[in-house]
Amino acid sequence: MLFRLNNENLGYDGAAVLRGISITVSAGERVALVGESGAGKSTLLSVLQDRYGGNTALIPQEPGLVRSLSVFHNVYMGSLHRHSAAYNLLNLVWPRQNEIKRIRPIVERLGLGEKLFERAGELSGGQQQRTAICRAILQGGDAVLGDEPVSAADNHQSRAILAALSDTFETIILAMHDVDLALEFSTRIIGIKDGGIALDAPAGDLTRPDLDFLYRD
Amino acid sequence: MATVPGISAPTAPRYSPVVKTSAAFVAVAAGCLLFADISITTLDPWSEMKRIAWGAVTPDFGAVAGLGMVVLQTIAFALCGVALGAVGGFLLSQVFHLGAVRWTCASVRAIHELFWALIFMQVLGLSPLTGVLAIAIPYAGICAKVYAETLEEAHLPALRSLPSGTGIVSAFFFVRLPDVWVHIKNYTSYRFECGLRSSAVLGFIGLPTLGFYLETAFSEGNYSEAAALMIIFYLLIATLRYWMRPKLVGLYVLIAPFLLGGGAAIDMSNIVRFLTVDVVPAPLRGGGLLEGRTWSGLGDWAGTLLIDQALPGMVATILLTQIALVATGVLALALFPLVSKKFFGPVTRTVGHVFLVVMRSTPEFILAYIFLQLWGPSMLPAIVALSLHNGAIIGHLVGRFSDEVRLRPDSPRGINLYGFEIVPRVYGQFLAFLFYRWEVIMRETAILGILGIATLGFFVDSALADIRLDRAIFLIAVMAAFNVAVDALSRQIRNRLRLSTRAGQA
Amino acid sequence: MMRSRSTLLLFSLVSLLLFGGVTPQAFADTFVFTAIPDEDEARLRQRFNKVAAYLSKELGVETKYVPVKSYAAAVTAFRNNQVQLAWFGGLSGVRARNLVPGSEAIAQGYEDQAFLTYFIAHASTGLKSSGTFPAGMAGKTFTFGSKGSTSGRLMPEYYVRQNFNKAPDEVFTKVGFSGNHAKTIALVQSGAYQVGAVNFKVWENNLKSGKIDPAKVAIIWTTPPYPDYQWTIRGDVDQRWKPGFKQRVTEVLLNMKDPDLLASFPRKNFIPAKNADYQPILDVAKQIKLID
Repeated sequence: MLFRLNNENLGYDGAAVLRGISITVSAGERVALVGESGAGKSTLLSVLQDRYGGNTALIPQEPGLVRSLSVFHNVYMGSLHRHSAAYNLLNLVWPRQNEIKRIRPIVERLGLGEKLFERAGELSGGQQQRTAICRAILQGGDAVLGDEPVSAADNHQSRAILAALSDTFETIILAMHDVDLALEFSTRIIGIKDGGIALDAPAGDLTRPDLDFLYRD
Repeated sequence: MATVPGISAPTAPRYSPVVKTSAAFVAVAAGCLLFADISITTLDPWSEMKRIAWGAVTPDFGAVAGLGMVVLQTIAFALCGVALGAVGGFLLSQVFHLGAVRWTCASVRAIHELFWALIFMQVLGLSPLTGVLAIAIPYAGICAKVYAETLEEAHLPALRSLPSGTGIVSAFFFVRLPDVWVHIKNYTSYRFECGLRSSAVLGFIGLPTLGFYLETAFSEGNYSEAAALMIIFYLLIATLRYWMRPKLVGLYVLIAPFLLGGGAAIDMSNIVRFLTVDVVPAPLRGGGLLEGRTWSGLGDWAGTLLIDQALPGMVATILLTQIALVATGVLALALFPLVSKKFFGPVTRTVGHVFLVVMRSTPEFILAYIFLQLWGPSMLPAIVALSLHNGAIIGHLVGRFSDEVRLRPDSPRGINLYGFEIVPRVYGQFLAFLFYRWEVIMRETAILGILGIATLGFFVDSALADIRLDRAIFLIAVMAAFNVAVDALSRQIRNRLRLSTRAGQA
Repeated sequence: MMRSRSTLLLFSLVSLLLFGGVTPQAFADTFVFTAIPDEDEARLRQRFNKVAAYLSKELGVETKYVPVKSYAAAVTAFRNNQVQLAWFGGLSGVRARNLVPGSEAIAQGYEDQAFLTYFIAHASTGLKSSGTFPAGMAGKTFTFGSKGSTSGRLMPEYYVRQNFNKAPDEVFTKVGFSGNHAKTIALVQSGAYQVGAVNFKVWENNLKSGKIDPAKVAIIWTTPPYPDYQWTIRGDVDQRWKPGFKQRVTEVLLNMKDPDLLASFPRKNFIPAKNADYQPILDVAKQIKLID
């Protein structure tokens, strides 16, 4: 059991966005959070990150890159915790060959190979998003929490990204806006509506029309 | 006709806090004008003006022997001072959250470079270290503040997505610093430009920089020589971005210390004497600490200084600061259209830019010096000098800001555009810049005291002329406290009016 | 981008370390002197570079003149042992010797035994030259020379206080400090100030060189004579150079006969001086509270 919330009110600065939330996510699950934008998916993810961030990688909605550093460095940041400060600084100034070797395949898999030494600030929105995903992949860990990680990718890219995440992480929780993709990719769907969990079921038991009610007033 | 119940149109316009604050400042300045000494005492200012104008069009570059070395030394002092100040400020910015550090930084930057130089002159004499420290110390104080504020703004999402367990050093260099590096770099290079001005001005009190020769040329009426020196100074600043390449900075900083010139050996005993004897109030020196006479003497000493010098100095400082502040604002609002794409074509804008660059590159100290020669002693030269220099700086920033305003296609033109579309949109920004300059203007009024305008700086200069360092230090401390207070007040007003801008720009 | 940042950091640190090591010792065994900046700097440089050459030759020790921008800087440099000899005015000399025990006045100009200050006024004031103190200047604007000058500040302030029994800023509507004597003349001549006090030697020099327009500015009163300029030397020069060095410097100064050298001061010749000669200056300075 990796994540557990028991009848909790979640929100910012005391104002609850979600009420009475109970969730348990076990190792090996691939969870898709669906619901209208503003429903509280990001809130839920950020609470999970705050509580269980120890060995969990995060892909924030705003990709959280350092715009003045290269793709290499932004991805390398996923491994900062594994090295000494001195080694990290060395790589900041002068990227080591073995680190490049480690990072290149990850970046190439997501189609960013040519951009390895370009500054993140100069990339397109989709490329920045994929850079953030590469960072999470390099970081690794038991689980990944992603807030709309494929919002700026086309269908083909989305599948590649999700496959890459699945290859790296045993447990995955992603907020997704593409319901079809969510059904196809995940093992479990959690639907959020009106400040609470309106649906929590195995993806295999659901079809597209079962989710439509989440997006109706 | 349907009406909304309970709401009737107000009968008089309601003014926003921003407008009310502005009106209050204008009213205060108008009140100050009543008490300020403003006059032209020279009987024939025009003949001198003509000579200056003639000098300006006939610059004599051959007049200063070894001009190249003078320019190099001016750059070298700026480089060493700013490099030391920036590195020191950077280290301090890491502990800026500590109250003691914040207060120390506020007090050291409240004292102008010229006064730092005058203090160090007492200890280190003509040694180049005097000039380097005079720049480095206040700059460290200001850099610490700006760097700390900038680093605080570092992008949080990037920090959040770091793996847990990332060390603070790695997090700092991978996320915080790179995220704000461009701002820090830009701010530091802006500081270097300021450093060049400071370095030049330090020559006025004896360091071997451009100011040394400028002072001589001006006071002897060699305006062609003065013009040549000023032109070289403008060229130095105008070409800054061509020779101050990021790749070369390191090399420059390495070479610079060797260009500072000899000077004199530094004697530890002078430093000890300064700290243990010179700065001790005269009645305490030699007097028994248990004798009542010593302490009543100290009371008299402090009382006389406060009432006869600090108080009148403070009054003059306030009068001059408030008048110059409002004059700066008026001038900035009048000048910014000159460089704004919203108002003028490229030709006028180029002329405007040249005028503003010249005005903001000329240190206010030098402007005041020239106007004093022209009009004789009163507050007038100081007001004009301060408002021209600062008005040009703010006018430039507001002009640039106005370029970003998006207008509807059918917006009015000319004065209507100015009054209805542009000024209302840039006013908040303008006021923010102006309030940032408030404390700077006050610090500058102090140095104009060296030129004879009876601000606090005048009394400091007198005490130094009498080699009464205890009095000088006491008055400098009063001055610094005063500046820190104005800084705090300005911040409070900015917060209340919700004015914000990057500190580094103004 | 990355490369330049690291070099910047590295070089800044290296230069920081270097700073500790670079303590300039350029003048380790050079005999250095300065002079109060009482006149146009170009003239001062010209004057004292010639004197430096003369001293180097006669003393057999490398001698160098360093210019300073203020009277206080001259005194401070002397006090901090960055110069060992100085051409001081009466007041700056007294101050310097007070601060440096063992230092001595060794020579003065012939004229410095009985130095004078001229009170000068712009023609528009209607003030005329007179043998009695010009009480009519009350209510006018007035400029001294430098704040630390004997002839431009100390003595004129003394006589103003003595005759009006009031501080200068109560006597005059405005009181200024021009910075040096040449500027005092220029400011009164331009009318920026109506009345001023100036070193008589500088006045005569400027009159000779045609810088003064007698139609615009004229002398209205002359102070009684007082002792002024002198060469002052630190007491520790014998230890630093050689025994008898102070005596040798004194002789060389007194033996300065080259009319060209002397004319640039301008003094007829130099005569011996001692600290006690300047007691009157010290008394006056204490009386008007310029020295504690």
